[in-house]
Amino acid sequence: MAFGLRRPFHAKGPDRFIVNLGQREREVLQAVCEDLLGALDEPEAQPLLRRVYPVAHVDDAEIDRAYQEMVHSDLVSSRRTALERIIATVEDDEINRETLDTWMIGLNTVRLVLGTRLDVDEGPQPELEPDDPDLVAMAVYEFLGGIIETIVRSLTSTL
Amino acid sequence: MNSVPASISLSDAPVGIRDPDLDESLDVDRPWIVLVWNDPINLMSYVTFVLQKVFGYSREKAETMMLEVHNNGRSVVSTGTREKAELDVFRLHEHGLWATMQQD
Repeated sequence: MAFGLRRPFHAKGPDRFIVNLGQREREVLQAVCEDLLGALDEPEAQPLLRRVYPVAHVDDAEIDRAYQEMVHSDLVSSRRTALERIIATVEDDEINRETLDTWMIGLNTVRLVLGTRLDVDEGPQPELEPDDPDLVAMAVYEFLGGIIETIVRSLTSTL
Repeated sequence: MNSVPASISLSDAPVGIRDPDLDESLDVDRPWIVLVWNDPINLMSYVTFVLQKVFGYSREKAETMMLEVHNNGRSVVSTGTREKAELDVFRLHEHGLWATMQQD
């Protein structure tokens, strides 16, 4: 395959997807999922998770509180299940559609939290200095963007 | 991931905490709208795909809505009863989209 044109995911059929990731890339995915799994229940991490549990009723705080109480534990447990599933299948070279969909949702959740922590804006992100403490987090954020983009592309191609 | 867990009943919970309000019965027939709001993190392609997946919209329709979110800050993505709107909002939240609902 031509240099730089490797496709990390591609469809072999409607329910078969090839995962063409290197060992280091898989390790990064596993590490970020484990990080977020650990943070889901940490009280001090909750402000960073605000995009994971968005406001549903903007003009009625009381109704929104009731909505959050009703769905919060389900939103937490579906995220936990997704992250655990990614970790369990991160070494696989071929996964089915449901698993790839779970990768998409779980990795998008990680990216939402990272983007919140990095306080990203619309558009291209600013170039960071080599000694910037956020350099690694920003690189992972950009990496996840590419991963999600290619997952979406391969899922869309088989809709 | 894609279905609402059996433990939640989206149809009745928020209603119970509202003050009994006689005027409310007049609102029953007014439809609810579900809005998706612009955010700087979710990818445009991801938003389009989630709208296709959750609502079964065509690529064109989902893309039009996504662009409306991107350009105008928000888009109405579904309408219906309160119960349907709550289910739609929940599914969009499961996917990390910023969705809200209000009575039209």
